[in-house]
Amino acid sequence: MGRILIVDDTMFMRTLLKNILFSGGHDIVGEAADGAEAVARYQELRPDLVTMDVVMPKVNGIEALKAIKAADPAAKVIMCTAVGQEQMVKLAVKSGARGYIVKPFQAPKVLEEVKNVLSA
Amino acid sequence: MFDEEVYRKLFVEESRENHEAIVNNLLALESGEDQQTAIDEIFRSAHTLKGMSASMGFDAMENLCHSMEDIFSLIRSGRREVTASLTDLLLTCTDTIEGMLDSIEAGGVPSDEESASLVQELRAFTEEEVLPDEQEPSGVVVPAEAAGEADGRPLYTLSVAVDPSCTMKDIRAMLLLQNLEDIGTIISTTPSRDLIEDGRFDGSFEILIESEAGEDALRTVASGTEISLLGISSPASPPVAETARKPEPAPKQETETPHVPRAAKSEKSREIKNIRVDIERLDRMMNLVEDLVINRGRLEQIAKKHGIKEFDEALSMVGRSVSDLQNLMMGIRMMPLERIFNRLPRVVRDVANHDGKEVELVIEGGETELDRSMMDGLSDPLLHIIRNAVNHGIETPEIREANGKPRKGLLRLTARRDKDNVVIEIEDDGAGIDPGRLREKAVSRGAMTPEAAAAATRDDLINLLFEPGFSTAEAITDISGRGVGLDVVKKTITSLKGTIKIESELGRGTKFELVLPPTMAIIDVMMVHINGGRCAIPISNVVEVAQIRTDAIHRIGNSEAILLRDQILPMHRLEDMFGRAQRSDTLVVLQNSGKRCCIVVDTVDGQQEVVVKPLSRLAGNCRGISGITIPGDGDVVPVLDVNTMI
Repeated sequence: MGRILIVDDTMFMRTLLKNILFSGGHDIVGEAADGAEAVARYQELRPDLVTMDVVMPKVNGIEALKAIKAADPAAKVIMCTAVGQEQMVKLAVKSGARGYIVKPFQAPKVLEEVKNVLSA
Repeated sequence: MFDEEVYRKLFVEESRENHEAIVNNLLALESGEDQQTAIDEIFRSAHTLKGMSASMGFDAMENLCHSMEDIFSLIRSGRREVTASLTDLLLTCTDTIEGMLDSIEAGGVPSDEESASLVQELRAFTEEEVLPDEQEPSGVVVPAEAAGEADGRPLYTLSVAVDPSCTMKDIRAMLLLQNLEDIGTIISTTPSRDLIEDGRFDGSFEILIESEAGEDALRTVASGTEISLLGISSPASPPVAETARKPEPAPKQETETPHVPRAAKSEKSREIKNIRVDIERLDRMMNLVEDLVINRGRLEQIAKKHGIKEFDEALSMVGRSVSDLQNLMMGIRMMPLERIFNRLPRVVRDVANHDGKEVELVIEGGETELDRSMMDGLSDPLLHIIRNAVNHGIETPEIREANGKPRKGLLRLTARRDKDNVVIEIEDDGAGIDPGRLREKAVSRGAMTPEAAAAATRDDLINLLFEPGFSTAEAITDISGRGVGLDVVKKTITSLKGTIKIESELGRGTKFELVLPPTMAIIDVMMVHINGGRCAIPISNVVEVAQIRTDAIHRIGNSEAILLRDQILPMHRLEDMFGRAQRSDTLVVLQNSGKRCCIVVDTVDGQQEVVVKPLSRLAGNCRGISGITIPGDGDVVPVLDVNTMI
């Protein structure tokens, strides 16, 4: 069970994800609504895992991912993505993302991916 | 799995924000403002809407948003241009989305009745011949791993399959290969790595890997999410220089200095500072605060009677807390006017297009705040005035040019805080209101006798516009002539305790000025005594208090007037409300919308902050009283509605 930081620009998605992760016994240590906030929160909280939305205002998920990886190469980041964003996710994986979950989220899949990335 | 209602509310609220962002950015795009930002914003909002609606299972909305996102993805990469017809289509889509949100809010699930054809149309745009692709971010080349030196590490062949239910198989495979690279060196894959990472494989593939981590580690990594390990071969000795291999290039990540967003450095860890609170809860809290204010007043009265020092001290502490709490609550209820201003650019665009007019809308002061209870009431009057201005005020480009004006009409909407009030002005540089025509109409409608009309000032005539059924529009258009006239606008503004004023100059334009109190619930009043009764007068209506000189009182017909510093003011005694005042030597001068009158009172008690409660419907319509208030002593005191007296 891990300490998780949720990054998404809508409260709707954050709430959804929070409830799924919570039901899996994880600890939500923080939330961020854009990439810049995500990087700052990561530095501050050093969570075990980050769920990172790709499309966000100001600093997007890929840039935030890169910044987090630069600060902590061991950071575990899972991208939250949607069909149609394959290229972005590939870029994310090449930039060090450790996994991805696809919207609309299916709780079992989300929990499986989180578990696998945490235990890797 | 989750509480549907909570999500629905959150969904509707955030969707509306995104919907609004799309509309405003489409308009910005059309006006040629910062194109790239607008396109990015629309893409992002459409994407967000898609994701949220998919999560809620609103397929029709998801499909529509998806199609919009696709279009903007093309526009963003420069492969499609934004044309007027595309903007129109997209705006129609946003209307449909708004309709869907309405039905979702009402508890329904939107059907694809309307959206299906829109999706088709959007597809047609997407599938049109594509402009030459802009440089794809080519080749973050992950090297075909090499270990030509063959240092004798054990070799394994892994046979893996990606779950058929997996979305984005290529990425799943890519992640697996990447994870394997953490514990070994991939010699080759079948099919090739490029094909696998492009998704061109039938679900399973083989990996030849050199690793010292051992079989168990490989097994763990190769049984990740949505991956099944079909087989693993026993260690074999590595093939020696079987193929010539290129020298290993440095991995991409290391050559590229990771770009750290500047914002990340300057912004210190920012918490999520906003939460959403249900409006009903805010109202309930506000009611509680009002009760506290009332009871604080009562306690103060009681304390005065007994004069206990400790009690007074404690009470003054409580009093301060209540004041702070009250101010805080008032602050929380305030919302920037942007909330309603944001809808207006779209309205102006539609009306202008419909009428063949060119209009530039300038909005200033959208950050000015107003109590949210007034926000709802203000929306319709504002919409009406704006429509009117485009519809009747601003002339067609041809007429404007003939009159030596620029083709494009200017419509300026400004809001500002002025002392205790919020002032909203809507000003156009159009044709203005013709007093001559108003005069004719006043006579023909029987609103004025010919003599009265001839003597009427321009302001008198313009004020006729606020009379029910009086409109200068020759024909009812389907845009502003919806049976709602300026009389309704005035009524609404008055019910918000505000005033409305029109200034107009023929040929130069018209200006509407709305003056509103920033909040309705708690106001400053002057308490006065009339014949033993008490009455509260909103301080915003009080001009001055003066002594009465009986020789200055004049009778005019049935009413009285008083001469005060060269000004004749109508004088009221409020006898029917309170009976004849005993001392009758103090005068309170009142004003509303620039007009004045005065009332006779016995004494003035001073100024006080009170909570105004509306009259119960049981009391019927009490003209002259806008509500009641309960000051500290528990008495019920009427609040004078100065508007009806002038």
